[in-house]
Amino acid sequence: MLSSYGSSYSYPALAAIVIGSYILFTGDGEYFNVGKFLEETSPYSWAAAGIGLCIGLSVIGAAWGIFVTGSSILGGGVRAPRIRTKNLISIIFCEVVAIYGVIICIVFSSKITSIPTQDLYHPENFYTGYALFWGGLTVGACNLICGVAVGITGSTAALADAADQTLFVKILVVEIFGGVLGLFGLIIGLLVSGKATEFQRH
Amino acid sequence: MEGLFFNVHSGYVEGIVRGYRNSLLTSSNYSNLTQCETLDDLKLQLTPSYGEQLANVASPFTTSTIASKATDKLVQDFRYLRAQATGALAKFMDFLTYSYMIDNVALLITGTLHERDTKDLLERCHPLGVFEGLPALCVASNIEELYSIVLVETPLAPFFKNNLRSADLDELNIEIVRNTLYKSYLEAFHDFCTTDPTLKGTPTAELMSEILGFEADRRAINITLNSFGTDLSKADRKRLYPEIGKLHPEGSLMLSRADDPEAVRLAVEIVGEYRSFFDQSGLGQGPGSALGGTQKSLEDIFYQKEMELAKDTFTHHFTFAVVYAWLKLQEQEIRNITWIAECIAQNQKDRIGNYISVF
Amino acid sequence: MSGTANREAVFPTRQSLGLMKAKLKGAETGHSLLKRKSEALTKRFREITRRIDEAKRKMGRVMQIAAFSLAEVTYATGGQIGYQVQESVRAARFRVRSRQENVSGVQLPAFESYITEENNDFGLTGLGRGGQQVQKCRDVYGKAVETLVELASLQTAFVILDEVIKIVNRRVNAIEHVIIPRTENTIKYINSELDELDREEFYRLKKVKNNKKKALDEAEAEMKARQALEGDKMMLSGKGGDEPSDLLAGEDEKDVIF
Repeated sequence: MLSSYGSSYSYPALAAIVIGSYILFTGDGEYFNVGKFLEETSPYSWAAAGIGLCIGLSVIGAAWGIFVTGSSILGGGVRAPRIRTKNLISIIFCEVVAIYGVIICIVFSSKITSIPTQDLYHPENFYTGYALFWGGLTVGACNLICGVAVGITGSTAALADAADQTLFVKILVVEIFGGVLGLFGLIIGLLVSGKATEFQRH
Repeated sequence: MEGLFFNVHSGYVEGIVRGYRNSLLTSSNYSNLTQCETLDDLKLQLTPSYGEQLANVASPFTTSTIASKATDKLVQDFRYLRAQATGALAKFMDFLTYSYMIDNVALLITGTLHERDTKDLLERCHPLGVFEGLPALCVASNIEELYSIVLVETPLAPFFKNNLRSADLDELNIEIVRNTLYKSYLEAFHDFCTTDPTLKGTPTAELMSEILGFEADRRAINITLNSFGTDLSKADRKRLYPEIGKLHPEGSLMLSRADDPEAVRLAVEIVGEYRSFFDQSGLGQGPGSALGGTQKSLEDIFYQKEMELAKDTFTHHFTFAVVYAWLKLQEQEIRNITWIAECIAQNQKDRIGNYISVF
Repeated sequence: MSGTANREAVFPTRQSLGLMKAKLKGAETGHSLLKRKSEALTKRFREITRRIDEAKRKMGRVMQIAAFSLAEVTYATGGQIGYQVQESVRAARFRVRSRQENVSGVQLPAFESYITEENNDFGLTGLGRGGQQVQKCRDVYGKAVETLVELASLQTAFVILDEVIKIVNRRVNAIEHVIIPRTENTIKYINSELDELDREEFYRLKKVKNNKKKALDEAEAEMKARQALEGDKMMLSGKGGDEPSDLLAGEDEKDVIF
């Protein structure tokens, strides 16, 4: 499976090398300036990107998990219809992951307020922007992984339940621990953004 | 990794297969079946699993009816899965049907060789091995024609092309043709499972490699044991051994030189597991040692082992091997039911416990 | 009298009596011979019946085992091998010879089976799996067919013997209950007729004798009467009276010894 996906990783890398070489060899090497990039990028875009990544990754994770679990529940449910209601709990665990993302996004987006451009490039505001970006990314990544983990465990739980109903609770415990991973992300996300203030004039 | 992407294509099918596996008869079901006095009792006991198929069977109830109805169920379930399968799983399931196709084509070849009306033979073909081009084979009137039709119309073409010439069909015993094809099929299937880009490195490759290896070893041992006392030469015999499995290559070489069960036992001794099979079956302990009887025959032990492997396969998740395992388990179940039905019909209650149940 | 109806239409003559006696003797000999034959056949028949019973029981057992071994084959190969076996056979492995056996003049066919060992047309069947069961099944069915052949041989003998015994018994009965009584009746009839004739003859002879005697007596009486008349005449003449005393005087002479 890796090899087939490996080829798809090489295209962005190739594009980056081509563009980088173009910049370098046409005498514009100084364009590639990380400090300048960080200084000149608007904290708004950091914040918005953080919020977007947070909700986006969370939803991808949740959706992935629901897909993996759902297809197994459907398949298993054909011969053992009793599993379908019980295993909705796995779907809900996946769904919760998206809800974590939504919560964080709501918290984060409350920090975005409109301020004039000349006041924007202030360390406080930079802090807020970066905090929202990395906080959002943390939560998003956590939720993505958590969603997949819960999804795969949920899929196993569904099939195990179909085979032997006493196994359901036991595997559900595993699944709950998987689901907690998203909660860690949520907590860290809140902590990271807790110190950040709203965008404000100085 | 397979957990991320497997369910995209095959999650539903896997879920269904596991559902099918759960409806297989368990040992308590079997012990109920063995208590039956008549076939009608048996029918009653089978109602939870096969009620749909057995419901409309008219009263004179024979074992062959039971077997054919149970096979109908298997075929029906398999066709449903095949319709749901996509991508690599579809190909995998096609591979599963190839073994039945080999049997069917061998049957038609036999019919053509003896100039029988091959149309009647179509009904005798195993339904799982029926493919679109199969009726076309009936058109062939001589071997040359049949050979070219097989190459053009059937999915078995690669197995034929590399191993057999059209003249071989005429000259060789049909059993040798069949086993040559089967060998080629096993190797191709093994190759597919271990090298296909979507299967390489997944549990499917791992499990199927073991299962197919075992199947190959079993065939090699069986061919050797069954060829004693026939006119199959050693060189020909060697050509029938699949080139996969634990016995390949040293064991195969020793098998190809074996003259009696004792030599077979020595040949398989390099694999501890198989040696214990021989010890259990009492085969190769001395010349002319009896098969069957109260002792389990080697055949039974192999079946037992196959079923164990199939059962273990279900402990793995996200793999196609469950489909294969389910098919084998279901087949074994049909054999078990037929066996029990025969025992009841023929009043041979003392041998009734000879079925193989793993659940 | 039944005897009169149940007899042969013969003239009751001495000759036919002789013939009948010969016939009766022949019938009795034939009866005893046939009886013995019937007994021999019946003995044989009983033996065959017993053996058929045994063979049938054996067949029941063997066929059961055979059918079961087929079930084993189905179990082991997991499919139908019938067609393949049927098609791969070229020459019969199991053959039957027929010969005649003579039991008290009855020709009984006996079937003998033998197996051509070298013939193994479907030896490779089930090569991949179940080959041992196939071979075992073949052996068991070989035995089953052997039993069937034995049974067929016995059954044929049974039917033929049955027929023959029936015929022989019919003959024995016919001789015993029809021919012998009839011949005996005929003999009795002839005898009685001959007796009757004898008696008639005797009576007639007696009558004739009586008649003759009567005639003689009459003649004598007449004669006496005449003599008396003559004697009277002679007495009258005086001379005729001496002569009888002369005859009586000769009585004391010696007895004649032969």
